[in-house]
Amino acid sequence: MNEKEIENKILKVLTLVLKIEADGKTSRQSHFEWDSLKHIEIIFAIEDELQIQFPEDQLSGLDSVQKLVQGVIALHAP
Amino acid sequence: MRHEIELVGISYRIRPVGDTDASFILDLRSNPILNKFIHHTSSSINDQLEWLKAYYQRQGDYYFVIEELHSGNPEGVISVYDIDDKLQCGEWGRWIVKPGSLASIESAWLMYECAFKNLGLREIFCRTVAKNGSVVSFHDSCGIKNKRILKDFFTINGQKLDAVEHRLDSEDWSILSNRLMTLARMIDSKRTRNLVD
Repeated sequence: MNEKEIENKILKVLTLVLKIEADGKTSRQSHFEWDSLKHIEIIFAIEDELQIQFPEDQLSGLDSVQKLVQGVIALHAP
Repeated sequence: MRHEIELVGISYRIRPVGDTDASFILDLRSNPILNKFIHHTSSSINDQLEWLKAYYQRQGDYYFVIEELHSGNPEGVISVYDIDDKLQCGEWGRWIVKPGSLASIESAWLMYECAFKNLGLREIFCRTVAKNGSVVSFHDSCGIKNKRILKDFFTINGQKLDAVEHRLDSEDWSILSNRLMTLARMIDSKRTRNLVD
């Protein structure tokens, strides 16, 4: 899966959970709806969607679309 | 007030605040990321200890430290206070969780359990600065529907600010608690997996 495909899947999850039109610049800072409860829902939904597991110590730092995309890519790195 | 209520959850517990927590509380309340929407706190540890001294004397005020169970590290604070015994109603707040902590969901769950089960309250409310969008959203995300705006309710740094009040009764808590507990369990399963790995 390439970066664009990963981003599209993440945007799909964000749009569904936050009920907003998410784009590549969406972050917790830009959207207050992305609160700490929704953050956990988003993380687990992305894990389900992409069949991955983020390490627990990275969860709070995955606070933007870009960081989520990079987080997924890092998990697939050799 | 001095109390002995301690609640143990899945990954966290809440336990009574004591004098030895003064510097931790001061660090939290002085953190510029966390203190944008709270009343001014003196930077003096002695002032914090004086505040705690007065708190110990105040009836109907339960102040807790949120601790991670595995490490025992403090990750935040939370309170239930201004309890009206007649109405069986109280307020919760003074809720601050360290940046990067995953304690928000479970600490809220523990506080509600304390309010409704340990303290026997019928209803509890929380007043949040309206501009504090992520915390207002947290209460909404919990599923609390009973909310209203209180105009110019807070004065912080000389500025009048609106509050959003969320109210929850024990009946609705019995419905909402499962959702919060499910999320807390999901976080714990990840933590447990990481410890095994």
